[in-house]
Amino acid sequence: MSEYSVIGKPTTNVDGTAKVTGEAVYTFDMTLPNMLYGKLLRSPHPHARIISIDTSEAEKLPGVKAVITGKDTPGGKYGLWRRFRELSDQEVLATTKVRFIGDAVAAVAAISEKIAEEALDLINVEYEPLPAVFEPMEAIKDDAPLVHDDFANNINNTRHIEWGDVDEGFKKSDYVREDRYTYSSQHPAPMEVHSSVASYDKGSGRLTVWSSTQSPYFLQLGLTDALKMREGDIRVIKPHVGGGFGAKNSTMPDSVNAAVLSMKTGRPVKIVFNREEEFTATEHRTAMHLALKIGLKKDGTIMAKEAKIITDGGAYTGLGATTLYLAGTYLTFPYNIPSYRYDGVRTYTNKMWASSVRSFGATPAVYASETQMDRAAHDMGIDPIEIRRKNAMTTGYEAPGQYRLGSCGLLPCIDRVEKRIKEKWTDLSKDEGIGFTAFAYMCGGIFNWIDTPYAFSGAMVKINVDGTVDLFTQASDIGQGTNTVSVMICAEELGIGIEDIRLHPADTATTLTDLGAWASRETLMNGNAVKAAAGEAKKVLIEVARMKLGENIVYDLEVKDKRIYLALRPERGFSYYDIVKDAIKRNDGEPIIGIGHYTPHRKGMVSPAFAFGSMGVRVKVDRETGQVEVKDIITAHDCGQTINPLGARGQVEGSIQLGLGWGLCEDLPTDNGMILNPSFVDYKLIRSRDMPQIELHDVPTYDPEGPYGAKESAEGTVAPTSPAVANAIYNVIGVEFNSNVLRPEKVLKAIRKKEEKEEEAMNG
Amino acid sequence: MKDIIFDFEYFVPKTIEEALKLLSQYDEGECKVIAGGQSLIILMKQRLLMPKYLIDIKGISDLDYIKLDDKQGLKIGALATHRSIEKSPIIQNGFSVLAEMEQNISSVETRNWGTIGGNVSHGDPGGDPVPVLIALDGKLKMTSLSGERTVDAEDFTLDYFETALRHDELLAEIQIPSIPPSTGVKFTKYSQIVGDYATASVAVLITLDKKEICDNVRIALGSVAVAPMRAKKAEEILKGKKISDDLLAEAGRIASEEASPTTDAEVSEEYKRDLVKVLVKRVGSEALARAKKA
Amino acid sequence: MKRELKFVVNGDSYDIWVEPNTLLVQVLRDELGLKGTKRSCDSGSCCACTVILNGKVVKSCSMLALQANGKEVLTIEGLANGAELHPIQQAFIDNWAFQCGFCTSGQIMAAKALLDENANPTREEIQMAMDGHLCRCTGYNMITEAIQDAAKRLQGQKLQEAAQ
Repeated sequence: MSEYSVIGKPTTNVDGTAKVTGEAVYTFDMTLPNMLYGKLLRSPHPHARIISIDTSEAEKLPGVKAVITGKDTPGGKYGLWRRFRELSDQEVLATTKVRFIGDAVAAVAAISEKIAEEALDLINVEYEPLPAVFEPMEAIKDDAPLVHDDFANNINNTRHIEWGDVDEGFKKSDYVREDRYTYSSQHPAPMEVHSSVASYDKGSGRLTVWSSTQSPYFLQLGLTDALKMREGDIRVIKPHVGGGFGAKNSTMPDSVNAAVLSMKTGRPVKIVFNREEEFTATEHRTAMHLALKIGLKKDGTIMAKEAKIITDGGAYTGLGATTLYLAGTYLTFPYNIPSYRYDGVRTYTNKMWASSVRSFGATPAVYASETQMDRAAHDMGIDPIEIRRKNAMTTGYEAPGQYRLGSCGLLPCIDRVEKRIKEKWTDLSKDEGIGFTAFAYMCGGIFNWIDTPYAFSGAMVKINVDGTVDLFTQASDIGQGTNTVSVMICAEELGIGIEDIRLHPADTATTLTDLGAWASRETLMNGNAVKAAAGEAKKVLIEVARMKLGENIVYDLEVKDKRIYLALRPERGFSYYDIVKDAIKRNDGEPIIGIGHYTPHRKGMVSPAFAFGSMGVRVKVDRETGQVEVKDIITAHDCGQTINPLGARGQVEGSIQLGLGWGLCEDLPTDNGMILNPSFVDYKLIRSRDMPQIELHDVPTYDPEGPYGAKESAEGTVAPTSPAVANAIYNVIGVEFNSNVLRPEKVLKAIRKKEEKEEEAMNG
Repeated sequence: MKDIIFDFEYFVPKTIEEALKLLSQYDEGECKVIAGGQSLIILMKQRLLMPKYLIDIKGISDLDYIKLDDKQGLKIGALATHRSIEKSPIIQNGFSVLAEMEQNISSVETRNWGTIGGNVSHGDPGGDPVPVLIALDGKLKMTSLSGERTVDAEDFTLDYFETALRHDELLAEIQIPSIPPSTGVKFTKYSQIVGDYATASVAVLITLDKKEICDNVRIALGSVAVAPMRAKKAEEILKGKKISDDLLAEAGRIASEEASPTTDAEVSEEYKRDLVKVLVKRVGSEALARAKKA
Repeated sequence: MKRELKFVVNGDSYDIWVEPNTLLVQVLRDELGLKGTKRSCDSGSCCACTVILNGKVVKSCSMLALQANGKEVLTIEGLANGAELHPIQQAFIDNWAFQCGFCTSGQIMAAKALLDENANPTREEIQMAMDGHLCRCTGYNMITEAIQDAAKRLQGQKLQEAAQ
């Protein structure tokens, strides 16, 4: 929108200089005076009772300052689903039993990492191995080993979503199909491993923790519960974070143990995971089995959809319960579905717990949903793009009791990508194919399982006498560009420049609560809070200007380009700087303070707004090796008003990289609960030479719920990528895949099987 | 992050002689030679290898050279880096298959510091250089206090991470005979991620006579046995014949049966055999095309 | 037993004593306080630790510090000219070629080494040179564009200097 000064303009990263010079400090880099280094001793068994732990030898090692086990911790249990206390199922260190290979049972603090590592070898743990369960289908059986003894069975959480009459809907359908899918587990693998530094102040009894976290507030709450301290006595500060992608939402053993060790030794303690720990003992994608049934009329109109999901939750809750809910939600996007029924079950298993990973349950759900759409289209002889267009959501659509769309640009997104596909991909060889998908994504959750009494996002603006602004937000920039968005919104609202604003981010002591970076909430929720805070400050400026002008209240004042002036007579106004000075004088010397917050109210059960889009991919299949090469991608997104086009593009490309990896090569195979490939050598990721070029189209709309109409961008593009590739592969070799990780061997096997069948049919 | 947390005695010999003296002083298994360390350091961080004595030969410049002799052919010192081989005009002009192979080893960073000798001495059945050396009929010269000896490239790697090197020997030089006219050589490794460790790799050398009959053929396979190997039976069906696509396909099929790959966490044995089939056919075809041009 | 390490880092001479089992990245980060070089993988697979050693990029996590004896190291901290960013750094900012920034130091050093050797690389040449660098945030294309932009800026700078 050309009417904005800052919003919508490509803006470089406010943290740019720090990041390109190596000056940006990550928790990984931090040292404090008198600091100790901590390491965790982890269980080698997937399920075992802890009989005894002998730390005496480790304690004697010169340089070791503390060795702790479960009994040395305050004993609080914690988790993110705090509203349901039984789901606070994590301990600082396992006390009675260990529940996955990697479950922490002891921690050491020493004067060097080397000594801490050596001390671990000296701790003697006696285990009594117990039968373990690794598969959700096994875990739900009555005779399955019980992962949590205080639960009646291994069901951690269930979800049910329903509207309309699904059975009636199927009866009225001309075409019904059922498909079953399995989506495997993968790791978000952020570049910065989990890192925490804890410093306990003996004098005040207060704790400060710096951590590579997606949510300082969530961490603060987790520490409060684990350490049984007052929330306000715990301060969490988020330095620069080297990526999260869902792995850093929960309170993790690095932070809680660093805290306890610091309390015990009276010195700061730093714990940094190594990459093997990062792969084996941090949160990753929830693997799941899905059963999907869809009913359509012969013209392609969807009548009913029914879904069942069972997820492999691993040993603890994390955010896996939310993933269970959202997977069921995303199965309903982005189409009009008159009747829907979903039942989800999350099971405990003896593996590292699975939680949220970028797209929060959408990736498996959308893989199933979007490949099924294509199959239905093929069967019914309807063009796959046309069937999506026919059922596409539009502004105002309501899923009864669940969500309502304040804006929806899906149809123009579908049109745009289809148009470009027809223009660009005209010369396909016989080994090439095109796949198409449509998608939607939420802008933060309505949910309050964290059980906070605070607004979901809060911000504060302080205008100083020289017109510079200090902006305080707790929002977590983990690379996605939130800091820049916050500053841009504040600048737009106050009519000043990016260079006039200093951001004070992510410190629970000095900023108002923000729930953190997950489910793509920062732009909308934190953005609204920043806009509100700046808006309050702006009110003060306008009031002072109005008084000075002496004009009638009906005449609007504009705040732009460092001036406050009459909208209809721009020459009549004042410089921003003069008004600021005046306002402070008139308020007995107090700087101009604006406080704002945002919590979605009466916005259904899921999210206050949704972004939309569509994607086309062009692939080439090597029929002799099964290698799938993604040659080109065209995508269009409706993120309302794009705040920063540079940042949005970066995010989209990054999310597509993850989506491609999750569809083609990333996988966490396990053997009796042990992850077999915990390194970048064996865990395969997309790299520079495998990445296709991406053509991105912005299809602007305006959502009344978002700041300047803005919605999320690019968590949505992850999920549709792997089904688009699967759909494209189908169009080349005619094979359907009911599971992801379409490795060359899998594709080749499928090609062979099809060729055999065809031969049999011919000879038949 | 993982560091090397065990201690070792560290030596930096200035000459080959000094290095060999040190090697002979210590028992097998207690002592390791480090050059670029691109494989060794990772193993030491993981505590999979914990030598008591480390002999750093990286600085022995006498072992870092690339020379071309009109009669004897190409001689590469063991400490020549992958990058120097990749960029060498001598190699790019006369033995370009080596440069092509080097270009796809790991990253520029690895190639700048890692050496071909270090790579080959590691004995990795999935390494890229050895199959190419086999195809080129290369020889490896080893040296010790008691003298020098040379083995054919195909006899150098014995088993997983086990080579013909005695514990008191250093790999000194790689020798590659001049490539005769009408010869084409091609190497391709296959991996799902471009440039990754090979799931399977194939190197083929074909020399044609004036009638375009196959006078000589060498087929080397990597990653599909305990060591890089020659597919001699596959070679036999091509030798003395006019090579056609069908013949290459047959050679591929035979080679896939000669190989003995294993199933790992990601890829099955059957698939690796499939790859051998396809690669021998394709690489053979490209080697043939090159031979015709040469 | 500690051994002497004499080397130059970002133009400054250092004479320190280190255990032989110390990695170059440990000396840079922990001894010299140059935290800009990062560590991420433990298996020599990600290039976050890339520095320039005697003009060539190497992984500082995969070499012993003592192997840098008598050599010159350039890290990310040595790139800017006082308060003035290097054109590659500016190009990375202007092209949004980083997000979380953790892989960025390594990427920029590799870009510098590439452009020092090849002033006008093609897209493919850039991808080949940068292929060891793992990034989870960007999808790589914007990094490639930043390097192409940097190449132009550096050429422009050379022309300016030549003209003077």
